[in-house]
Amino acid sequence: MKYLDNVFIEMENINKVFPGTVANDDISIKVKKGEVISLLGENGAGKTTLMKILYGMYKADRGEIKIDGKKVNINSPQKAKKLGIGMIHQHFTLVPVHTVLENVLLQLNESYAPKYVENKIKEIGNKYELVVDPSALINELPVGFQQRVEIIKALLGNSKLLIMDEPTAVLTPQETEKLFKFINEFKSEGNSVIFITHKLNEVMEISDRIIVLRDGKKVGSINKKDADREKLTQMMIGREFDFEVKKNEATIGKKIIEVDNVSIVGETGNQILNNISLNISAGEIFGVAGVSGNGQEELADAIAGLKKISNGDIRLMGKSIVNLNIREIINSGVGYIPADRHKVGLVLEMTVEENLILKSTYGQKYFNKYKLLKSKKLKIDTEKKINKFNIKVSTSKALVHSLSGGNQQKVVVAREVTLGDKLLIASQPTRGLDFGAAAYVKRTLEKEKSKGKAILLISNELSEIMELSDKIGVIYEGEILDIFDRNEADLKKIGLLMTGVRGESFEK
Amino acid sequence: MSHLKNRSNSVKDLFLDKFNNKLVLILSSVFSIFMGLTVSGLLMLFLNQNPVEAYKLIIEFAFIDSYNIANIFAKSTPLILTALAFGFAFKAKLFNIGAQGQFYIGVLAAVFVSLKLGWMPPFFVLSLSLAASFAAAGIWASFIGYFKAYFNANEFLVSMMSTYVAVAIMDYLLRGPLQESKGEYPQTDLIPNTAKIPTFINGTQFHYGFFAAVGAALIIYYILWHTRLGFHIRAVGQNRNAAEFSGINEKKIFIIVFLICGGLAGIAGFMQVNGINHMAVQGFEADIGAAGIGVAILGNANPIGIVFAALLFSTLEVGGLMLTQTSSLPSSIIGIMQGSVVIFVVISYFINNKFNILKRKRKLINNGEEI
Repeated sequence: MKYLDNVFIEMENINKVFPGTVANDDISIKVKKGEVISLLGENGAGKTTLMKILYGMYKADRGEIKIDGKKVNINSPQKAKKLGIGMIHQHFTLVPVHTVLENVLLQLNESYAPKYVENKIKEIGNKYELVVDPSALINELPVGFQQRVEIIKALLGNSKLLIMDEPTAVLTPQETEKLFKFINEFKSEGNSVIFITHKLNEVMEISDRIIVLRDGKKVGSINKKDADREKLTQMMIGREFDFEVKKNEATIGKKIIEVDNVSIVGETGNQILNNISLNISAGEIFGVAGVSGNGQEELADAIAGLKKISNGDIRLMGKSIVNLNIREIINSGVGYIPADRHKVGLVLEMTVEENLILKSTYGQKYFNKYKLLKSKKLKIDTEKKINKFNIKVSTSKALVHSLSGGNQQKVVVAREVTLGDKLLIASQPTRGLDFGAAAYVKRTLEKEKSKGKAILLISNELSEIMELSDKIGVIYEGEILDIFDRNEADLKKIGLLMTGVRGESFEK
Repeated sequence: MSHLKNRSNSVKDLFLDKFNNKLVLILSSVFSIFMGLTVSGLLMLFLNQNPVEAYKLIIEFAFIDSYNIANIFAKSTPLILTALAFGFAFKAKLFNIGAQGQFYIGVLAAVFVSLKLGWMPPFFVLSLSLAASFAAAGIWASFIGYFKAYFNANEFLVSMMSTYVAVAIMDYLLRGPLQESKGEYPQTDLIPNTAKIPTFINGTQFHYGFFAAVGAALIIYYILWHTRLGFHIRAVGQNRNAAEFSGINEKKIFIIVFLICGGLAGIAGFMQVNGINHMAVQGFEADIGAAGIGVAILGNANPIGIVFAALLFSTLEVGGLMLTQTSSLPSSIIGIMQGSVVIFVVISYFINNKFNILKRKRKLINNGEEI
């Protein structure tokens, strides 16, 4: 009974479906007073969606929310604020050309004298060490200070629960430390915090309880004292680290792709990729293991020419491709199965045949010299590919969005495998696919490898990496921490590296 | 019980599936037209007019004699073109709100060529005038695409504001270099007979330009669905990320799309100058651009749909004009009819869209992913 009394918020059986994905599948969570909860999960696990439902920005398809045991209907952020819920978004919701004071005034429901609010800002600033000048313009403040303003906004609304969506992503270590100090102070007054993150070290530092989400489902809730990095990684990634590793000798050919000391620096000066070097030879699959959001996507984008690198060199067959544009890189034989097939891989409102030639519209393969479509050739080629890749579709002119997820992915695979005759980048190639379709994609990758292609495989599924790769590199915060041959790969070591525990600490 | 539930689900799915095809698009357009006319009919009740009688009269008047019937085609000619100017850009998810200004630039180019080169044989004057109006307005509008591509300027605002600049240029030229020799009104001299587009039916305004406008719609249709440019335009319009990922240069697409859109609106100017007015008058046809947007929306931005939508709007215009002349109804009732039709079309897009999302959600919940 005492436990129940202490519960502030309950979310029960929350369901949310977006066209294309189930973002939240029957998730229930409880938040107690004076508790910091970490909501842990990979990108796309459904953390932000769940919190946006709690904050009234999304409406759940099913499920209910209770505050202090009473059912509430949170249909807008205004309502959430009234109920004592504040949210610090990952991307700040501040007006850059206004002052701190103006930004704070903007979100207050009732009107106050500016002087009063100004004093409040100072008061809160002193109390929690969140000092910020009320008359400063937002766009002249460093990111850490902008975040303070967001926190002050939430506190002025008398929030009893603060939701923080990846608050440390943009902060320096010193700023992070200050933020954690604030969280502890705030908690000690009987308030609660939900901390969304995928960084394990922060989870272990700040939280009382950890709730892990994976693929839209709640995997478990665990008290910090019972948790360790390994356990959390397992929960987050979803596999025990004890599956059989096939040993298969690859016939390695000459070097196809060389990534040489590549770095990417983000807009705020944060290091997205940090001195990454790797080589992939013909007939070799290089697997990149890591918790998603650690720079994998950026590495793939950099090779495909979608993202400019700040430093280093990338060579294909010995020639630098850093200064080539996307089309030139495609033409030099690089195929890329992107992680998000809906967002970048396909044009859902176009037909299967159009999607198959999306990257082949230049040159005279499918358009004649007057740039007119060779529809007969397109039809014949499409039907060949539909057969070859076993795409289940009624007609080559069906719109791609009418296909099931597995068949959509096969369209992408068919296109990229055909184009990538030297290098194939496969980023999360089996994500969201059922067993059969996933197996098909894996078989295809192995087949292409045996044809002498170099393959860069990026996956959140460690089992997939272990199953397919000849070499495994572990990426953490934009850095390849270590590279293993499959035959000598130590699962435990890889698992720990994925969470940022480096070599020297193994000995302890 | 569960059997029953499944059954009702599959019936529902079937019903929702139907919502996907073209037939539904046409049916919902017809329904929107019906609803729009009903609502404007209700407004007529407030003006103490019998709407049924009024609509009967509109149809009667519109088809009362060959002059009026011909007028429907004459009026739809520039409308088809300005609607294409909006609809073509819309296929690339670009908003061209500046057809009015592009129309004026076309008018100026056409009238300039017709006045200066009127000594040439008709075929040459007309071809040159047509080409000049397309080129001038096309280049004019391509700047909108250029600013979008290289400065990330919002094409909606830039195209809208560009109309004001075009109007100012027109005002200047019609009071200056291009003003009539009498120097009295802000208008040009009449163009020579060699520069007039021959009429299709003598004694009416129905000129051969109508067929050119329909031809333009067919060409646009062909470009969209059978050429590389059209392929790229649709890819950029439906998924910019995927287009970029595929190496398609969207900057180039922005500029080309606006060039063609401007050119189309420019040709509308040629049609009015060389086909109907035979001169340029300050600020004439001041709502041809806005009307084009309405027509394009009614036609679902489909070039063929646009032709029919333009004919419908022109019929309302021609019949409605006589109605307002012979009854106490204000002339604004035509605009109200057209406006409410467009509003219902937009509503039906919204509903269709909701249904489609619902359908995809249901599919996901019921079946999950299947191979």
